Amino acid sequence: MTVSTRTATTPLAPKVSEPIDPIFRQIRDLVYKVCGIFQLEEKLYLMADACGRRMKVLELRSSREYWDRLTAHASREAELRQLLNEVTIGETCLFRSQPQLDALRKVILPEIVAEKANQVMKRLRVWSAGCSTGEESYTLAMNMLEESELLLKGWTVEIVATDLNDRSVETAKAGIYGDYALRTTTDYFKRKYFSPVDEKKLQVRPEVKKLITFSRLNLQDDSKMLFMKGMDLVFCCNVLIYFDGPSKSKVIDHFFSNLNFGGYFFLGTSESLMKLNDKFHLVHFPGAIAYWKPSLSSGKL
Amino acid sequence: MTTSFTAAIRERVQRIDSTPAMPAVFLPLLNLLSGSTDEVKVDEVVRLVSYDNTIAAQCLRVAGSPLFGLVQPPKSIKGAVISLGLRRVETILLTCCLGQAFPAGKWVLDPAVFWRHSLGCAMVCRKFSEKLAVADGENAYMAGLLHDIGFMVNCLVFSKEFAAAMEHAYQQEIPLHEAECATMGFTHCESGRALAEKWKLADDIIEVIAYHHAIAQSQKAQPLVALVHLSDLLCRMRGLGYGYYERHKVDLISDPAWAILLKEHRDLEGVDLVRFTFELDEAVEEIHALVSTVFGSARART
Repeated sequence: MTVSTRTATTPLAPKVSEPIDPIFRQIRDLVYKVCGIFQLEEKLYLMADACGRRMKVLELRSSREYWDRLTAHASREAELRQLLNEVTIGETCLFRSQPQLDALRKVILPEIVAEKANQVMKRLRVWSAGCSTGEESYTLAMNMLEESELLLKGWTVEIVATDLNDRSVETAKAGIYGDYALRTTTDYFKRKYFSPVDEKKLQVRPEVKKLITFSRLNLQDDSKMLFMKGMDLVFCCNVLIYFDGPSKSKVIDHFFSNLNFGGYFFLGTSESLMKLNDKFHLVHFPGAIAYWKPSLSSGKL
Repeated sequence: MTTSFTAAIRERVQRIDSTPAMPAVFLPLLNLLSGSTDEVKVDEVVRLVSYDNTIAAQCLRVAGSPLFGLVQPPKSIKGAVISLGLRRVETILLTCCLGQAFPAGKWVLDPAVFWRHSLGCAMVCRKFSEKLAVADGENAYMAGLLHDIGFMVNCLVFSKEFAAAMEHAYQQEIPLHEAECATMGFTHCESGRALAEKWKLADDIIEVIAYHHAIAQSQKAQPLVALVHLSDLLCRMRGLGYGYYERHKVDLISDPAWAILLKEHRDLEGVDLVRFTFELDEAVEEIHALVSTVFGSARART
């Protein structure tokens, strides 16, 4: 929801009439196969740009040479990570994916609330895993607050936000954002949940912060991961792309076991779980995809 | 749905003069989509289209639009086929034909929204067929294109009742066929079937039109009905629905249609559904543009 790829944040460039070098399509497929990030055809030129920057650094003259570097060279895995760094950027924004938020508020929350109707403790636990500088976590918190008078009336919402990077966690705690991070935040939300810091920056208000606990966590630390139980929702957007297959598989298994039955797991909007876990059910909502841990009452376990 | 009720719908569809008339070249074009090789097809398509100047002209206008980015707009259907490929021209032609069957101004449902969904579904059906190596991918395309023709009947023949059903769907954010059932007592599946029978469409296409929301009741062509059902769901989840938010969670792999299709095509197991979804997203823009060129932009729903 927050950590965006450069492909997603850059406005659509006008269509270029000249055909794109087919090698970049091959590279797109390779990136998808290894990392699960899919580059749409209309944004393939961004992949080409990223490859171009890497070729310049490596002083390679043709796309074919770069393809060989990615597939046949001893340092191919390291180069793929470098390319991913070029394709994705750590830059984030609030309200990154409205379809994900719509799915959350219009379909998922009513379902979870109904599912837990008979429980004494009305508690909703959300995990923003790899929260970076907090944009996703605050977006979720604000949306939960919007539901607090109706759907979630009488409910306690806890958002656990974790990241590997200490500095990101500190920035997240401060909750201060500029125009770029707020470019998709409506005036309604800005007025209701932010206070001005100066002419260019806004800070998240305390009532939003109160919902979230920020902390440092390494998703590959098995002993810590075992203690993240009882989640209803997990968001882990564009983080797993940097993990190798076995590590990714292990982290996903942790997410699955840490989710309550009936809980949902969200990846980034152009990201896929591939076939790394067959216990999750892939589910579609209008404009959004999520992975569902079937509820006990669904008969789909 | 009782037999007498179905008969009543059929009778009303038969009786009303404004029931859409099939353009003369439509059925032969449809037949061309399967069977013969591309080389034979080009000449046949050119011959057929030459019988209908209006459709030929509209096809050339669309082919020459900025959507397809041709430097020189094609001057003939053959030229369009050479520049754009047969499949694209076929799509344009069939869309133009069906567009002509339904006069402007009689739509309760926005025609642009309707055609986006129908074309999207047709394309997804064909793509699914390719993944599953189904012999008759073009028939699947046609089934997808025509599966919702009942909405056209509802617009023309039951406009007041259908307008109420649509309003109910928009307000409640529920699937349109559920709203039809709740407010009208029947759906576009029954009215579509009546039109399909009047048009004498092939049995398997009629089956798709009648049962794409009730696969269990389908007696014949169940895998094709299942294919269209799944494609319809996927389109509605990826911006090619009916122009409003459906509060709907779709678990395609747990859908009974998936099991029906899997029984017939083991290849389905290997389909990467997420990638398939992303690939559909790539086509959405083109479908929107094509439909805008033929029918104008969709009306904004407030």
